[in-house]
Amino acid sequence: MRLAIQGIGVTGGFGAGVAALRSALQTGTLSYQDLMVEHHDGVSDTFPVCRATTEGLDRFVPKRELRRIDHFSKMSLYAAHLALEDAGLLDADLSRIGVVVATGYGPLKTTFNFLDSYLDFGYSCSSPTHFSNSVHNAAAAHVSMQLKLTAPSLTVTLFEMSVASALLSARQWLAEGRVDRVLFGAVDEYCEVLRYCRRHFFGAGEQGPMRPLDFAAQTAQVGEGAVFMVLTREAEATAYAAIDAVVLGHHPSAPVELPRAALLVAGADGHRQCSRWYEQALKDRPVVACSPYYGSFPAAAGFDLAAAALMLKDGRVYAGPQEACANLHESAPDTKVTMASLKFGAGGDYGLICLSR
Amino acid sequence: MSVKEKLKKVLIEDLNLEDLTPDMIDDDMALFGDGLGLDSLDAVELVVVVQKHFGVEIKDMDEGRPALQSISTLAQFIEEKQGQ
Amino acid sequence: MTCSVPIAVTGLGCLSGAGMNLDENLVTLFAGRRYPGPPIRFSTDHPVAYPVLELRDEFKLPLDEEQLVYARTGQLALAAAREALNDAGYDDESLQGKRVGVCVGTTVGCALNCDDFYRDYKDGSNPGMAIIERYLRSNPAAVIARQLKLNGPVQTVVNACSSGTDAIGLGASWLRSGACDLVISGGADELSRVTYAGFSSLMITDTGPCSPFDVSRKGLNLGEGAAIMILEPADATEKKRVRGLIRGYGSACDAHHLTAPRPDGAGLKTALNEALQTAGVTPQQISFVNAHGTGTPDNDRIEGRVLRELLPQVPFLSTKGYTGHTLGAAGAIEAVYSLACLERGEIPASIGFSEPDPEIALIPVIENTPLAGRVALSQSLAFGGNNAVLILSAGGV
Repeated sequence: MRLAIQGIGVTGGFGAGVAALRSALQTGTLSYQDLMVEHHDGVSDTFPVCRATTEGLDRFVPKRELRRIDHFSKMSLYAAHLALEDAGLLDADLSRIGVVVATGYGPLKTTFNFLDSYLDFGYSCSSPTHFSNSVHNAAAAHVSMQLKLTAPSLTVTLFEMSVASALLSARQWLAEGRVDRVLFGAVDEYCEVLRYCRRHFFGAGEQGPMRPLDFAAQTAQVGEGAVFMVLTREAEATAYAAIDAVVLGHHPSAPVELPRAALLVAGADGHRQCSRWYEQALKDRPVVACSPYYGSFPAAAGFDLAAAALMLKDGRVYAGPQEACANLHESAPDTKVTMASLKFGAGGDYGLICLSR
Repeated sequence: MSVKEKLKKVLIEDLNLEDLTPDMIDDDMALFGDGLGLDSLDAVELVVVVQKHFGVEIKDMDEGRPALQSISTLAQFIEEKQGQ
Repeated sequence: MTCSVPIAVTGLGCLSGAGMNLDENLVTLFAGRRYPGPPIRFSTDHPVAYPVLELRDEFKLPLDEEQLVYARTGQLALAAAREALNDAGYDDESLQGKRVGVCVGTTVGCALNCDDFYRDYKDGSNPGMAIIERYLRSNPAAVIARQLKLNGPVQTVVNACSSGTDAIGLGASWLRSGACDLVISGGADELSRVTYAGFSSLMITDTGPCSPFDVSRKGLNLGEGAAIMILEPADATEKKRVRGLIRGYGSACDAHHLTAPRPDGAGLKTALNEALQTAGVTPQQISFVNAHGTGTPDNDRIEGRVLRELLPQVPFLSTKGYTGHTLGAAGAIEAVYSLACLERGEIPASIGFSEPDPEIALIPVIENTPLAGRVALSQSLAFGGNNAVLILSAGGV
């Protein structure tokens, strides 16, 4: 069953709103901020991060309601509202709209804030507010509460495969008529502990620029953000694109079968561990990697999906920084172009999402 | 700083009541429902606030409910427990 | 929603504080025994210890060393999966060549809440990555898929306390859509110091063994465990023993509060009605309800009210007295128990109950009770306001 992407809302390093994403893709602008962290071992660490904003969220949710809501859920609320706005649905009847959220690591900062509450002050001072907000479905819960969405809600965590996996269930709900639309989101956040781990795994580098198709190097740069889309069974004229297929598999067991004519948006994001999979799968294929625009994080697979949808809607290929595309032909693409977004995990797991106009 | 003043300060800080200042909270104003409008999650967070800033334990909500009615009742509860 | 095609359950596996496999669990339940106690595998400086239900036997995966590199939740999931696959007559080889999906619920199993690592990080003692690497390879559904070398859809559901119920409902729907030929579905969660601290901070844990639906109930006991159902299309099971069917699944949100259930139970009612509708059964056909029944004042009151309104004559029980609240595993353990009870034609006593609560005005079964009929209902209410309901029946189509 084909799904239509009817509205997109997003917040990431490039700003907030689908127009900001489109502008970054069109102009090739990268948006990294230098962040300085003083680690607990006294080491001072400066590195570029693609941070997402939640300024402007109070356009949709009054500040008072946000007092106990953390950055992870705020990014989600922002992108969810922007997606509904983009789809013209903010004032519509939302009773048959389900919520599906994909997140690789969940609300990291709040998870550690909860641990702080008892490590610093003893178990009797464990914070129930931090604990409640540290469950991975907190973002979906806040979205449901603010928008009064009573249809089913699902949150999925499977690291880099979270988006493709969650999309399977979103499509399932629509096929069964369990809901009429799905507010489908992907969200992950940056936090200091993540940086600490990345330094251990990858060394102190990650200073940029990201060269996602340079498979011999480790060039990932960390990012964060939230993207939401309104998915429906039938496309209306204003739809961005249709999702034709969602495939999850394990490449070493059975190599991924890529659609013949499609332009690929590769989820390659500078992680050398994943290189060999992309290298094998992408040989000579036309490919763009948009990860430099938003950084590396598991939910970025949702951003790749949004970028592919934008390219289909606009009938243009946004080639990105020079190191992030390959084998693109000079002639203008056919407006019936098909695209596919492909994300590998370190072990060769993959999520393939096929789209068309 | 009196117990009441400190309570108002830490309440605002720890419950992130950004739009309030201590002088906007009446001593006898209801903390829950109409009044300050706190809810059940704030109630258990308040128990932590009282433990953390005053070293006083609220064992369960049978003990907590009457104490948490207002700044006055809470201050009285804290002072009684600290006196013990 | 229209009536769903039933999905066959061909294998069951279960580990909990009530037993290391399904048979042991049933012995404990029908003997009316439970073993709550202070946590053994970790300690905290809480002024009181809250009873928990840990696995009683030292948990040893009966297989190769490779599996010990997974975090406990992943190991529990794998152990339950192996028991269920064995029950369904599958070994690793016979699964190859089939498209096998894995859909598992969890809460602890996905959280990067390794407090030992974090404490060392905060102390400036520069901890290494061993714990993080273990976290990265221990996503429960991924553990099962990788260890059994599967190549179908994989999903870890993190819907808090309804994850196990949701995972089974979703797994069943994958089969209806032809996304795969077989699904390993269920839930797993280990007992964790972090969730212990979290639930006690919410002041919803009992200082004694829990008393679901009792007038003096004070809160829940945490537990740990895993349960798996092997799901297959009903028409692909001609020569196989079918233990039961997934007949219906309903799910809905309260959209009310992060931790408190909606006072009018609206989300649960919607989920219940959807489950009944998709199963094509009426309340009169339900032999019993395995309630969420955590033993917290709020949950049991609201759940009880909904049961009184929609299923007033139906016997019900909570099995959380036997297992504790196993979070992501709960819905799966309870679905497995429900099927096993239907097969047996009997439900155990709702342990922990002695005095009715006039606010609920319903009494769970107080002794082992024979069943009339072959259809059961199992429901879960979760943080975040998810409500999920499964309807199951024993035997084949």
